[in-house]
Amino acid sequence: MKLFQTEHRRALRAFYGEGHAAFSTLLESLAGTLEAEVAPSSARFDADSGGISSARRRLFEAGLCRMPFDSHGGLSLPFGVYSLAMELVGAADAPTAMSLGIHNTVADGVFRYGSESQKKEVFEDLVSGKRLASFSLTEPSSGSDARAMSTTATKTGSSYRITGTKTFITNAGEADVYFVVARSEKGHSAFLVDGSAPGLSVGADIPKLGMRGSRTAEVRMDGCSVPAENLVGEDGRAFEYVKSMLSGSRIVMGSICVGIALAAYRKALHYATERKLFEKKLSDMQMTRERVADMRAGINSSRSMCLYASRIKETGEDYGSEAAQAKIIATETASRVCDQAIQLFGGYGYTNADVHRHWRDARLLTIGEGASEVLRLIVASMELGGAA
Amino acid sequence: MDVLVFSENPHLAAELLSAGAGLAAASGGRAYSVEADSVRQGTHGNALLLRSEVPLLGDPALLAEAISAARKTKVAPVVLIGSTKTGRMVAGGLAVLDQLCVLSDVRDLRVDGGRLTGTRGVYAGKFNALVGGPLPSIALIPQGSYEPFSEPSGPVEEVRVTTGPPKVSREELRSSAKSSLDLRGAKVIVAAGRGLKAKEDLAIVQRLADALGGVIGASRPLSSDLGWLGEEYHIGLTGVYVHPDLYVAVGISGQIQHVAGIRDSKVIVAINRDKQAPIFQVSDYGVVGDLYEVVPALLRALGRP
Amino acid sequence: MNIAVCVKHAVDEGELRADTSGRPQLQGALSKMGSFDRNAVEEAIRLKESNGGSVTVVCLGGADSKKTLKEALAMGCDKALAVASARALDALATSYYLSRALKKAGPFDVVLLAEGASDTYHGLVGPMLARWLGLPFLGFARKVEVNGSKVRTEAALEDRAESYETVLPAVISVVSEVNTPRYPTLLQIMQAAKKPMEEVTVESLTDEGAPKFGVTVGDVVVQSVDRKKLVFEGPAEETSRKLIDALRKEGLL
Ligand SMILES: Cc1cc2nc3c(=O)[nH]c(=O)nc-3n(C[C@H](O)[C@H](O)[C@H](O)COP(=O)(O)OP(=O)(O)OC[C@H]3O[C@@H](n4cnc5c(N)ncnc54)[C@H](O)[C@@H]3O)c2cc1C
Ligand SMILES: Cc1cc2nc3c(=O)[nH]c(=O)nc-3n(C[C@H](O)[C@H](O)[C@H](O)COP(=O)(O)OP(=O)(O)OC[C@H]3O[C@@H](n4cnc5c(N)ncnc54)[C@H](O)[C@@H]3O)c2cc1C
Repeated sequence: MKLFQTEHRRALRAFYGEGHAAFSTLLESLAGTLEAEVAPSSARFDADSGGISSARRRLFEAGLCRMPFDSHGGLSLPFGVYSLAMELVGAADAPTAMSLGIHNTVADGVFRYGSESQKKEVFEDLVSGKRLASFSLTEPSSGSDARAMSTTATKTGSSYRITGTKTFITNAGEADVYFVVARSEKGHSAFLVDGSAPGLSVGADIPKLGMRGSRTAEVRMDGCSVPAENLVGEDGRAFEYVKSMLSGSRIVMGSICVGIALAAYRKALHYATERKLFEKKLSDMQMTRERVADMRAGINSSRSMCLYASRIKETGEDYGSEAAQAKIIATETASRVCDQAIQLFGGYGYTNADVHRHWRDARLLTIGEGASEVLRLIVASMELGGAA
Repeated sequence: MDVLVFSENPHLAAELLSAGAGLAAASGGRAYSVEADSVRQGTHGNALLLRSEVPLLGDPALLAEAISAARKTKVAPVVLIGSTKTGRMVAGGLAVLDQLCVLSDVRDLRVDGGRLTGTRGVYAGKFNALVGGPLPSIALIPQGSYEPFSEPSGPVEEVRVTTGPPKVSREELRSSAKSSLDLRGAKVIVAAGRGLKAKEDLAIVQRLADALGGVIGASRPLSSDLGWLGEEYHIGLTGVYVHPDLYVAVGISGQIQHVAGIRDSKVIVAINRDKQAPIFQVSDYGVVGDLYEVVPALLRALGRP
Repeated sequence: MNIAVCVKHAVDEGELRADTSGRPQLQGALSKMGSFDRNAVEEAIRLKESNGGSVTVVCLGGADSKKTLKEALAMGCDKALAVASARALDALATSYYLSRALKKAGPFDVVLLAEGASDTYHGLVGPMLARWLGLPFLGFARKVEVNGSKVRTEAALEDRAESYETVLPAVISVVSEVNTPRYPTLLQIMQAAKKPMEEVTVESLTDEGAPKFGVTVGDVVVQSVDRKKLVFEGPAEETSRKLIDALRKEGLL
């Protein structure tokens, strides 16, 4: 299946005008790599936690993670082009996309708030793929309400001691760098904790409904000692950083969902033109046609919203609300489109993992990286005022 | 109108001679089998023997020059060449030397109003195209398109030709006693694909072929990438085109390039553990399952455990 | 070493669909560098990497062929030459214009191309090109070794494997087993935009030697396969019995 299609070229033209041709060439070529080296293994990854590592490596080599950054090895590409690239990765394999998306959220944090030496040492390793990152915010008793976290960072001389447990951490166990948010004297602070730091341990892989190719586990820190130069930005300002990092990440997670929806949609569309019942093709049934139209409209509006939020981000204006809207629309649409795809496949959809895995993958993203409810609070507070 | 036919493969040469004789007969002409260096044993029909100072066989460039030279004395508006790798190289060289059109891999060959026409598969065999070129023209013809010419051997005309010196020195690395003709003439073929885990497992595919009274073949990766079987077993667009009564694909996904070579089979059977494998879309009967379970079960059911 | 590699911008045969009348839907069809051509480009770059020199990639075709040229540049070719032809040409004419373009841009020590194009697969352009250029042709190579002024290749023919040796310059066609093509990185793709790309038209290359006639392609219609598509699922004992019964009914056992 060709991943980069006319719809992508048209979206690039609509959002980027003149510049679109160069971006199309770039994404089409990336799609070629994905078709050859990622998509064929996607069904296998569904049964192999951690199986995505070689696919992830290929995409590091291609330079995927360098796309949205404008120095230190970045390719200075518009964020929307990067988000469309992540859509293609999502269509090829969702867990690979999610793993890389979260990795790059950390790279973004280091790029924007890190010291010059962190940029040279950590950021450059992250975008080249020399090191893999993990974003460690969620705790067993604080998810959406992240400020209620209980992990603490205590300053002792020239280092911090971190104690606490993070859970549902993507890339845990494989990561070389953990971006850990902890409570400090001055509020909340973010640290780059080395994967091999004494006192840091990773729990067993947590079994999950979808996104099975990526690893998810607990990260425990027991008096884990971190040098003060590993503090990211200023002590006490971590939530400000995290909020901004997550806004970008939400567009990316939305785009990944557009990719997931597209993969399921294309399978269903193909099946509908093959399956015959009541002496007709499934695709000739009126209700199927209505369903197809809804799926298509859903996918296009999701992609448009992700690109719209990206364009606002590119201008430098505040885009937090649009990013939240994009993620709400794209993730909820993807769950619905994948559900519709299962419906079109009938019993085969319910029993064939290659059909239902898309729904299982998409299902995560109305929860992770900002649950839909929380995102609605953000949007509403922009409209009506009041706290998010 | 006279027709020249050439193939380094004697069986294919016999098939071409049938095609050539058919075309020539309509206009009261003759078909000649082009023989290089010496006349091969068991040749049928009329032969045109080409001799040069240097050996011609095995050097496609020299063969092209020799046929071109022969065409100066033997006016032949149609040259039929076997679609093999050597055949393509000979045809390419000859076309430039004599300014001829080449219709490649054509079937249903006809001469019509001063034109040579035929049909060929395009886009990896997904589509059929009508193609034609003005006479004189060359046609490359795949194996198995015509019944071999069976009339006894006729007179041999000898032509002395001058060619340039050979530009390429050649050494044989491995030769196979087997010819692809075994596959092509076969009524039953059991073909193995990358679904096989190891070379040794070809044994069970062979057992199934034996039980069904057939021979084994393979998808391209088995002969080209893995080297488990010789090139002569490779079926498809870039290998052999087959047309058995029964074709059984074992652990073959059914990419169009492979399917291009099996379309003319009467009945196609696929054994594959992936229900979505495209091979099922071009099969009459499919068994979804692990070949390591299905093939032994078939052998048991056939009473050949 | 001066290396040229000829590539074709081909319709993506895997994605090509038939319209309702059974004809290929070429309008808006996906197209890409021919599958085997990637191997030829890769081999050219490897020859450059081990022997020094530069690689010129040449593509004859319509406006779309620039896409393929850019991809080859991103993979590591140094410059590109687009031979623009408004209409589709047959193998004889294609090889003629390529030979004219190569003579103008050359001289080249090695001219590489693929055994055949993935959409039409004639396998003729290579030997024709060699003949137009008056160079030795080493076909269907699955191994290429350059040693000073000599080149040695290995090829698998239908019933035997052979090795060939000749003195450069030569035309060499490669099969897909020769190597595994690299994928360009995004950075390489962006940098490729700055590499030189020249364009000539076939009209500007014509002389009195140009082929006067060509192969004409008439109606193209889909190969209709009407297969039964009966699929058996379940335990192997059961499915194999069903299959044997079916084959028996067909009179095949
Ligand atoms: C596979 C997977 C990977 C993950 N990867 C990471 C990672 O890499 N890094 C990381 O830090 N975290 C990660 N997470 C955690 C994820 O971000 C959290 O699960 C998410 O933030 C929700 O938190 P929670 O699970 O504690 O649910 P809760 O916050 O307890 O939410 C429970 C329910 O309450 C709703 N809710 C919350 N607030 C309100 C409100 N104000 N009004 C109404 N309803 C509300 C929520 O939407 C949800 O429906 C991952 C989770 C999973 C499952
Ligand atoms: C221009 C061009 C020309 C080509 N020409 C040819 C050609 O002439 N002939 C040719 O064959 N190919 C050709 N190819 C290659 C072709 O595209 C495919 O790559 C090739 O046919 C795939 O071979 P396969 O089906 O054996 O392997 P795969 O595609 O890897 O398929 C293996 C199959 O085995 C199944 N399987 C795995 N394990 C088991 C098990 N235990 N039990 C049952 N099933 C199992 C899998 O589900 C899969 O469907 C060409 C390619 C190009 C680009």
